[in-house]
Amino acid sequence: MEVIRVENLSFDKCKTTSWFKKDVVFKLGPIDLSVNRGETIAIIGENSAGKSLLAKLLVGAVAPTTGTIWMHERKDGKEAKISGPECRAGDIRMMFQQTSEAMNPGITVGQILDEPLKLNTTISVVERKQIVEETLIKVGLLREHYHFYRHMLSDGQQQRIAMARALLLNPKVIVADEPFAALDPSIRSQTVNLFLQLQQEMGLAFIFISHNLGIVRHIADRIIVMDEGQIIETGETETIFRWPKHPITKKLIMSYQSLAAIKYQR
Amino acid sequence: MAVLDIKNLTLELNTGTGSVKALEKVNLTVNSGEIRALVGESGSGKSLIVAAISGSIPPQWTLTADRLTWDGRNLLTMSSAERREVMRKDIAVVFQHPTSALDPSATLGEQLEESVPVEFVEGKWFWEKAQSRRKQAIGVMHKVGIKQHKKYMKSYPHEISNDIAQKFMIAMALISQPKLLIADDPTRGMETTTKTQILKLFTRLNQTRDLGILFISHDLLAIASMATTMTVLYCGQTVESGRMSKIRKRPLHPYTKALLDSAPSFRTDLPPKSCLPSLEGSIPTLQHLPIGCRLGPRCPRAQRDCVSIPSVRRIHDHTYSCHFPLHMDKI
Repeated sequence: MEVIRVENLSFDKCKTTSWFKKDVVFKLGPIDLSVNRGETIAIIGENSAGKSLLAKLLVGAVAPTTGTIWMHERKDGKEAKISGPECRAGDIRMMFQQTSEAMNPGITVGQILDEPLKLNTTISVVERKQIVEETLIKVGLLREHYHFYRHMLSDGQQQRIAMARALLLNPKVIVADEPFAALDPSIRSQTVNLFLQLQQEMGLAFIFISHNLGIVRHIADRIIVMDEGQIIETGETETIFRWPKHPITKKLIMSYQSLAAIKYQR
Repeated sequence: MAVLDIKNLTLELNTGTGSVKALEKVNLTVNSGEIRALVGESGSGKSLIVAAISGSIPPQWTLTADRLTWDGRNLLTMSSAERREVMRKDIAVVFQHPTSALDPSATLGEQLEESVPVEFVEGKWFWEKAQSRRKQAIGVMHKVGIKQHKKYMKSYPHEISNDIAQKFMIAMALISQPKLLIADDPTRGMETTTKTQILKLFTRLNQTRDLGILFISHDLLAIASMATTMTVLYCGQTVESGRMSKIRKRPLHPYTKALLDSAPSFRTDLPPKSCLPSLEGSIPTLQHLPIGCRLGPRCPRAQRDCVSIPSVRRIHDHTYSCHFPLHMDKI
């Protein structure tokens, strides 16, 4: 079942060189993409390939130059074009790259998590607190963490707060920009397990950017390979890993496999 | 022969309420021409070890060690001038976060030319010296794989990308032709193709110039592909140390096993989307370190004896410190 469909999405990053002239510095897309319910999609590619930009376009943090994002399965049962901020804020949520820096250090975790509810819903204060506490428990934290500040939490716990913030509004899709990069190995496997568990429970679709091809191979259903703002290859995870077609995909996969190959010769 | 030999290194930090042992009885040796990996999570004291070797520990911290020697010379009793001499000539450090470790107010070319040692500079007159410096700087930049030297010599650290900055840091370290290179998390946040480039560069330097490398990271995939020996650190204690191939085959310490399990690339039998085995809980902070074996509260095999610090045990060249090691029946 399709959750969102992206049609002809493109973005031009311009640099104004004179009053009348604009130079296109970077061109993304056009991109066509469809995301199914409960599906995990990984975006891989080299640096400055436009991966983060695509993620930002999907959540609406950056307005696209052309193209539309269609949201299916809305409450009224109709297909809708996403235009206003309210529907997008609820249904597609983002997790940012540097979790610790994406949280306000001056307010408590409770307030951080309260904000999206306050801004997007009309729920009363008491109920909001209840929802926040339930979400905290869902991601494996305690009720007491409501009163904690950012600096009192470890890396793994901060990642869980970021997860909780993304989950609060019951989204259908979570877009994450390198969610595992800054984490230590043992905390990373805990987070991966949490993702898998929540995905099973809630049927979330999960789009993530990662450099860690080991994890990509483990949790992704589909892979999108990007280069210079274009999608150069898409396909099932195993297909991409076994039979990469595009030279850049080949390069990525080969370098990963040369690392993963067992070296017992010495 | 061990060039760098560290035995029972303990580092105490004085906090307001008492002293905290940030490093406790750490053992580490690096043989000449060997790639030794030092693995540990954040807060395990990897960077503190680098600081202890390079002598950049603040004076209010107390550093004690049974042995901290470089090439048979004791680093602890050396005068600061001698120590600086060793650090300049023999040991080079590539620091974490390359873009912030570089001077933001000078161009890369200026920084690199400045770090050319005096004894390598040829010529009598200043123009000859400047030319010689420049020639060496360009040579070393080509060696680490920066091809457009003209462009990068003139640029400032904020203008270059992360992988160029990393290569540049390596170039700065190599210009004094050291015997040991300490690389502190050189592949952090890099994508796979650049990572392989950097790792290939390290391996090539190790083979062609017989350079010893202490490779500090928690990226096991990178480590496994290049290191010959490995030391695992947890919360300031060394838990296991030995040959890479042996540790990968049969880890003796439960923490090493958890680390290896956390990399799904190592396991071909793992079905996709299955739960990864992981340790409960998180890394303790320095203020709340458990007594005895510091893995104790998170360890699945912990028993009553684990409240005392396990002594270092040795099987051939494989050392470990655990009361209840894994895989003992197979050895």
